[in-house]
Amino acid sequence: MMGVRFDPRTKLLLLLLCVICTMFAPSLRYELVLVCLIAVFSLLSGQFGHAFMGTLFYGMIYAGTLLSVTKMTGTTQAIFAAFLGLVNKVYPCGFMAGLMIKTTKTGEFMAAFYKIHIPNRIVIPFAVMLRYLPVVKEDWHYIKDAMRMRDISPSIKNICLRPIMVAECLYVPLMMAASNTADELSIAAVTRGIENPNPRTSLAQIKFLLRDLIAVFAFSIYLVIGLIGMV
Amino acid sequence: MIEKIRLDNISFAYDGTGNGKIKNISFSVSPGGCVVLTGRSGCGKTTVTRMINGLIPEFFSGELTGSVFVDGENLADKQLYEIAKKIGSVFQNPKTQFFNTDTDGEIAFGMENNGVPRQELIKRVKKTADNLNITNLLNRSIFSLSGGEKQKIAFASVYAMNPEVYLLDEPSSNLDTDAICDLREYIQILKSQGKTIIIAEHRLYYLKDLADEIYYMDAGEIKHRWTQEAFLNLSVHERKQLGLRSLNQEEPKINDKSLRNDNADIEIKDFSIGYGKKDVLTDINFKANKGDIIAVTGHNGVGKSTLLRTLCGLQKALRGNIFWNGEVQNQKMLLKRTYMVMQDVNYQLFADSVEQETCFGIKNPDYKKVEQVLKELDLYELKEKHPNTLSAGQKQRLAVAVSMLCDKDILVFDEPTSGLDLESMRMVSELMYKLAKMGKIIFLVTHDFELVSLACTRIFPLG
Amino acid sequence: MGNQTRTNKKGLSIKDLVTIGIFTALLFVTMLVGGIVFAPNPVLTFYMPLGAALLGGPVMMLLIAKVPKSGAIAIAGILCGVIWFATGMHWAMDLGYIVGGIIGDLIAGIGKYKNKFLNMLAFICLSLGATGTYICYFANRNTWSNYMLNGGTSKSYIDAMNTAAKNWMLAVILIGTVVVAGMSAWIGSILLKKQFEKAGITA
Repeated sequence: MMGVRFDPRTKLLLLLLCVICTMFAPSLRYELVLVCLIAVFSLLSGQFGHAFMGTLFYGMIYAGTLLSVTKMTGTTQAIFAAFLGLVNKVYPCGFMAGLMIKTTKTGEFMAAFYKIHIPNRIVIPFAVMLRYLPVVKEDWHYIKDAMRMRDISPSIKNICLRPIMVAECLYVPLMMAASNTADELSIAAVTRGIENPNPRTSLAQIKFLLRDLIAVFAFSIYLVIGLIGMV
Repeated sequence: MIEKIRLDNISFAYDGTGNGKIKNISFSVSPGGCVVLTGRSGCGKTTVTRMINGLIPEFFSGELTGSVFVDGENLADKQLYEIAKKIGSVFQNPKTQFFNTDTDGEIAFGMENNGVPRQELIKRVKKTADNLNITNLLNRSIFSLSGGEKQKIAFASVYAMNPEVYLLDEPSSNLDTDAICDLREYIQILKSQGKTIIIAEHRLYYLKDLADEIYYMDAGEIKHRWTQEAFLNLSVHERKQLGLRSLNQEEPKINDKSLRNDNADIEIKDFSIGYGKKDVLTDINFKANKGDIIAVTGHNGVGKSTLLRTLCGLQKALRGNIFWNGEVQNQKMLLKRTYMVMQDVNYQLFADSVEQETCFGIKNPDYKKVEQVLKELDLYELKEKHPNTLSAGQKQRLAVAVSMLCDKDILVFDEPTSGLDLESMRMVSELMYKLAKMGKIIFLVTHDFELVSLACTRIFPLG
Repeated sequence: MGNQTRTNKKGLSIKDLVTIGIFTALLFVTMLVGGIVFAPNPVLTFYMPLGAALLGGPVMMLLIAKVPKSGAIAIAGILCGVIWFATGMHWAMDLGYIVGGIIGDLIAGIGKYKNKFLNMLAFICLSLGATGTYICYFANRNTWSNYMLNGGTSKSYIDAMNTAAKNWMLAVILIGTVVVAGMSAWIGSILLKKQFEKAGITA
C-alpha cells in the first residue's frame, strides 16, 4: 500500500478535532470542507477508495440535506432535518474513524495507548476487544448453521411465543465460546509474560514526525476558522 | 548442572472438580532432553505441564504439595512472567492463543512483554520466520490463516522469545496431517538447538523417534517409563491395552465395498459447489447406499467443508442435483434430512441439561424415545447435567442423540476425533457402526487415518 | 508452598481484564445489531438507545457474574465509549457510556456485585449512556440544526422542528430505554440461573 504512515496518536487527535469541529460547525458548507479535508488526509495515507467513496457518499447526504431544507415543508421537513442534522454531526467523525481503523494495527494502538500513559486496565481489554470482534462474527455464522439444522429460527413468532428458547439459542453458544476463549487466551498471555511490570516495547514504530505536526496543524487551523465563523 | 527440570513428589487436585488430579509425580529432565507424557484423556498429563509453566498454582487453584525446580531454582518463588522467560508454552487450540490481529505483532508479542528493544524485535521476528519457514505468513491478518498456520504463529511467538524449555500441551490436537508434519520439523529444530522439550500428547506417531523418554500416565500417576527403544519395542497388543494411538500413520486400507446394488439411496450428480460465482469443486459424482460410512478425504482448502455445508442444505449448490431415492432434493429437504456433528460441537448445544437438549425446539417430545436414545448412547446417567460440563466425546454423542430424535437420514461428522484418545476414537467408530446399522448414511470428514481404517466402508477422495 | 493462589487476590487479574475485553466485544456487537435497525431510519432514529439496550442484558449479567469486582462494569463502559468514539459516533453518546458505566459500577458495588437487582440497574445505567446524544439535542434543539441553513434561521423551520420533536419524545426515549434495558437484564438473570451457573462458567 502506498501512502504516508501517520502516528496513531495523530489519528486519534485528528478524530478528536473532527468531533470538536462538528460540534461547533457554523454551516453546512463548513462540514463539506471538513469532509474534503479528511478526504485529502485519506489520500495522503494511501486510502484512495476510502477517500472516494466517503466523499461521494457525503455528496449525496449534502444534496439530500439541501433538498430537505429548501424543498420540504412541515413535519416531513422537520423529521428529515432532525435526522440529517444528526447524520451531518456524525459523518465526518465516522469518515475519519474508518480511516483510522483501516490503517492502524492492534499493536500500534497498544503502543500509542502506552505512550500516552493509558493504564493496563484499559489497554489490555481494549486490545482483546479489537481482536475478539471478528470472532463474534465467525461464531455467529456457525451458530446460525446449527440452528437451521434443528429447524429453530429467531423469527418474530418464536420470539413472542418462546422468548427464553430464542434467547438460549442466541446467547448460550456465544457465551460458552466467549468464556472458554477468555480462559485460554489469558493463559496464552500470562505464559508469554504479559504480567511483566517493566515497560513494554513495541514492534510498531510510534514517532511523532513533521508530517504529523502538519496534519494536526491543518485541522487545528480549520477548527479555529470554524470557531470564528469565517466560512 | 545435570538436570534442567526436576519435579519433586508433586500431588495436586483442582478445586471443585476431581478431574485431572495428579499424585506423587517425580521425574527430572536433563538439558536437551525430550520427554513425552502420554495417556488417556483426563490422566493428568496436562496438569503436569501446568506445574512446570507455573500456571499451577498461580492460575489454577487447588491442593498442592511438592515442588518444581528449574535449573535448581524453586518455581514457587517466581512470578509467572519470570518463569515465562525460561519456559515457553504452546497449547492445543490455535483459535484462542493469539492476542494480536496481525501475524508480525503476534510473533513479537512475548518479546514486547519482556521489553526487548525495537531493533532487536525486528531482527528476531525476521529470524524466527526464516528458521520456521513461515516468511509467507508474515504481515497477514491472523483471521485469514488456517488452523495449522495459526498454530505455527503461536509456536513462532514462543520461539521468538527463545526460551530454554519448551512445553507443548497436545499441540497436534487440532492439526491435519501436513501440519503435524511441520510441527514435527519444528521439534526437530528445537532438538538440534539443544532445547529441553516436554510434550503432553496422545498422538504418538510423529514423536516416536524424537522422544528420548516416554512416560505413561494413568489416573494421575506415572505408571510406565520407557526409553525410546523400549517404547518402540512394545507389541501392538500392549500398546492397545494401554489405550495408545497407533505409531504409524499409513494410508488407510479399505476394501472398498462400492454400491451393493444399482439403486443408490443417495446420488450426487454433476455437482458443483462454491460461493457466489466462484467454483470450489466441480463435476462431483457419487452414489451411496444406506448403511455406508464414507470417509471424505483431501488436503486443507480443497473444499471439504463447502461440500458438507452444501450436502446439509446450508448453502446452495451451484450446479447439479442430489437425489434421494430418485427424487431431487432442494435445500429445504436436505436440511430436513441431514444433520452435521460440527467440529466444535459446542456451537450446536443450546439447552441447560442433556435431556432438554434432545428435545430442544421440538413441540411434543416423545420422552420414551428420548430415554431409549439416551440409554443407547450411554448418556442416560448424565441426563440432568449441563451439556457444557460433559467431556468432548460425550458432547459429540449428545449431538448424535439429537439427530436420532429428529429422524435424520444422513449424518455428517466434521473431524470427530480431533483431540480424542484411542478409547474415545473407538467409541466414535462404534457409534458410527451402530448408526449405519440403523440405515443411516454417514459422511465423515477426517485426517485421522486410524479412524478411517477402523470405521469406514468407503473413501470419497476430493481434489 | 500453600494452596492459595494469587489470582484470587483483590484487584483485576489478567484473566479478568481479558474476560472484560471479550465480553465488551460481545456487548458492543449487541449494541450495534440492536441499534442498526433504528439509526438509519429518519422516523426511528431517536429511539436508537432502545434498540442498543435490547440485546446486551445477558452479556452484562454474565460479565458481572464472571468478574464480580470493582471496575469491571466501569471498564466495559469506558471501552464502549472509546470504541463508539473510534467509530465516529456523536461525542455525547461516547461520554454517556463512560459515565453510565462508572455510575453502574458504583451501584452494583453497593451489593458487592452479587445483588441481582443492583446488577440489573447497572446495565440500565450503562444503556442510558446512549441517550446522551438525544439529551444534547433536546437541550439545545433550536440551534442543533441551524448550521444546515448556513448560519441563518427561519421562523418556519424552527416551528417545524418544535412540532416534530416534542418534549415528550425525550421522556419516551429515557423511560423506554430503562424499560428495555431492564427487560434485557432480567432475561439475562434468568439465563444466568438456568444456564451459566449450572454450566459452571461463572466465577
